[in-house]
Amino acid sequence: MSFYIPIGPQHPVHPEPLLMKFKVEGEQVIDVEINVSYTHRGIEKGLEYRDYMKGIFLAERICGICNAAHTLCYVQNIEQLLNKEVPPRAKYLRLIVEELSRIHSHLLWLGLAAHQIGFETLFMYVWRDRERVLDLLEMITGNRVVTSYNTIGGVRRDITPEMEQKIRKGLDYLEKRTKYFKKVVMEEPTVLVRTQNVGILKPREAIELFAVGPVLRASSIKHDVRADDPYAAHDEVPFNVITYDTCDVYARILVRIDEVLECINMIRYSLDHLPSGKYRIRLPVVIKPPPGESVSRVEAPRGDLLHYVKSDGSDKPYRYKVRTPTLANIPSTARMLTSRGDYIVYIADIPIIFGSVDPCLCCTGRVMFVDVEKGKSWVWTYNELVKYSRERFERHD
Amino acid sequence: MNEEEIINALKERFGDKIIDCKTPMRRRVFVEVSKECYKDVVKFLLQDLDMKFVEAITGTDVNDHLEVIAHIGYGISVSVKTKVPKDDPVIDSICDIARGAELYEREAHDLLGIVFKGNPNLKRFILPEDWPEGVYPLRKDYEAKHPKPLR
Amino acid sequence: MGFTERLVRWARGRSPWILFFNTGACNACDIEVVAALTPRYDLERFGLLLKGSPRHADILVVTGPVTRQVRDRLIRIYNQMPEPKFVVAAGTCATSGGVFWKCYNVYESLDSVIPVDAYISGCPVKPEAVVQAVNLLAQKIMKG
Repeated sequence: MSFYIPIGPQHPVHPEPLLMKFKVEGEQVIDVEINVSYTHRGIEKGLEYRDYMKGIFLAERICGICNAAHTLCYVQNIEQLLNKEVPPRAKYLRLIVEELSRIHSHLLWLGLAAHQIGFETLFMYVWRDRERVLDLLEMITGNRVVTSYNTIGGVRRDITPEMEQKIRKGLDYLEKRTKYFKKVVMEEPTVLVRTQNVGILKPREAIELFAVGPVLRASSIKHDVRADDPYAAHDEVPFNVITYDTCDVYARILVRIDEVLECINMIRYSLDHLPSGKYRIRLPVVIKPPPGESVSRVEAPRGDLLHYVKSDGSDKPYRYKVRTPTLANIPSTARMLTSRGDYIVYIADIPIIFGSVDPCLCCTGRVMFVDVEKGKSWVWTYNELVKYSRERFERHD
Repeated sequence: MNEEEIINALKERFGDKIIDCKTPMRRRVFVEVSKECYKDVVKFLLQDLDMKFVEAITGTDVNDHLEVIAHIGYGISVSVKTKVPKDDPVIDSICDIARGAELYEREAHDLLGIVFKGNPNLKRFILPEDWPEGVYPLRKDYEAKHPKPLR
Repeated sequence: MGFTERLVRWARGRSPWILFFNTGACNACDIEVVAALTPRYDLERFGLLLKGSPRHADILVVTGPVTRQVRDRLIRIYNQMPEPKFVVAAGTCATSGGVFWKCYNVYESLDSVIPVDAYISGCPVKPEAVVQAVNLLAQKIMKG
């Protein structure tokens, strides 16, 4: 018989409620089932009651960290329905804010991953440097996290030459710090022991289970929406798609750190080639697109994001569908967390494997274990799991 | 492959089973097919044209029928649409050719009541445990309201 | 008011231990509350500690609109906290439902589920506002 003791999710590890049921045999995990119904809010139905301009604010709060990606996808959808092009300056400005928010998301994730390993110093260092990115975002858009910068027809504000100077100085600082973090990750023995050959997802499995984002790219598949289906100014700004081929947690950390360095280069290129002109086109106050359908895709920090809209000619959408990248990564996560054959997953590896996927609906309210051999079951909080996994590694070292 | 080549390949293979086919914008193709050949079209796109990736499965409630749309492809996005009647919303599941699409079908079943025949695990996925059976929130006859406050 | 009572109240106000719970939020408020613990804002200098179990905590900080699935767990956590306990609703979503009007899985506000002592508004809350709110609540606890 098994029962739940809901001890609240706590501490900085993305305390979003999520339930995972693990079946274990001794120390090895043999099966996992994931339940995501805690954060379902009914947004798709809510968007049908709001007209298009108000819908931007609801779509933005689907995820507070990837909010730039959600608003960009939403406004691109509406602009495709209306068949309007935004001015070139708006495309470059959208790219700058999108890449800044990607840097923010990856640095945030790096700090949390360090916390899961037990590396508190790196966590505090990274989050202190993340504040610089938030300062830049606040200077450009007015708010730190949920920025509301994109709007139908362009962007809301312009940047001045003084802001450009400050952005460049901030980028120089971030580049220096990111290179330092990369050196730490590649040379620190604690990190290497905890992350190499852990959480393996082979390339064939990654394609079959439709993984997206850095999880896919760390399994050596070269796919990025910015390269395959370019939007905003991505067809004019050059960049490299980063892949690594070791397919483990270590590769995912390196993919994200290298992406931060690529983002810094892309923002510098955009500032050097920023076209002049208008940053917004004027549209009627009440937007009524003609009947039709549209699909829009954006590379959010966690992967491939898809929005689909169906319009019937009125001022509210008839159907709006959002498919977030974390939902696409759930089958791959379940595959990474199961032992089979020579590949063994220990309970102590669970936090870092789950964290390496960068879930945007977070890590656990409760984790429930069922021990098949001994026939007993117990419940841990996420923090107890993290503490257990750190202690195991200290004993082995 | 570009959009024109995909449309020509589909028309060549399936002939008049394709009801409608259009390219309203760059890198987007919208195809409407009948219920019976939905799975064959998806299989053709995934395997023969090597598109390899099902991005999402959308369900919509149009007044007297339900629509199921599968979005496929890495670069060019092909949306394959099909219609099922509301009183018998059964359609073939694509789980045996696309293993990662199982969760998308579960979500469409939870929110709209579409039954995917052949899906191994069609239980409750996204709605809470105490949600009443048979009530599908994304259907047009459901009026969204907040739950009653407890105090 | 005896001496021990004043001493206990002073101690409670000087070291409030908090428990943090997310009831289906968009994560923005969570990372801002966590950012309040990082070196720039540093809540720990006020004697604050983030704890893991409701049995150790004085203050419950809740973000997010309460979804149906999470409601029972929230009530159970609230019941497990020992008296005297305080609840802080962080963010516009917890205060009044925020932007989620007509979303079917979400209660209208936190105080339709559990009693609330302090509200912090903002979407998301700014870390400075969290620091001020915690300070004010601590002073209120010390005074009674």
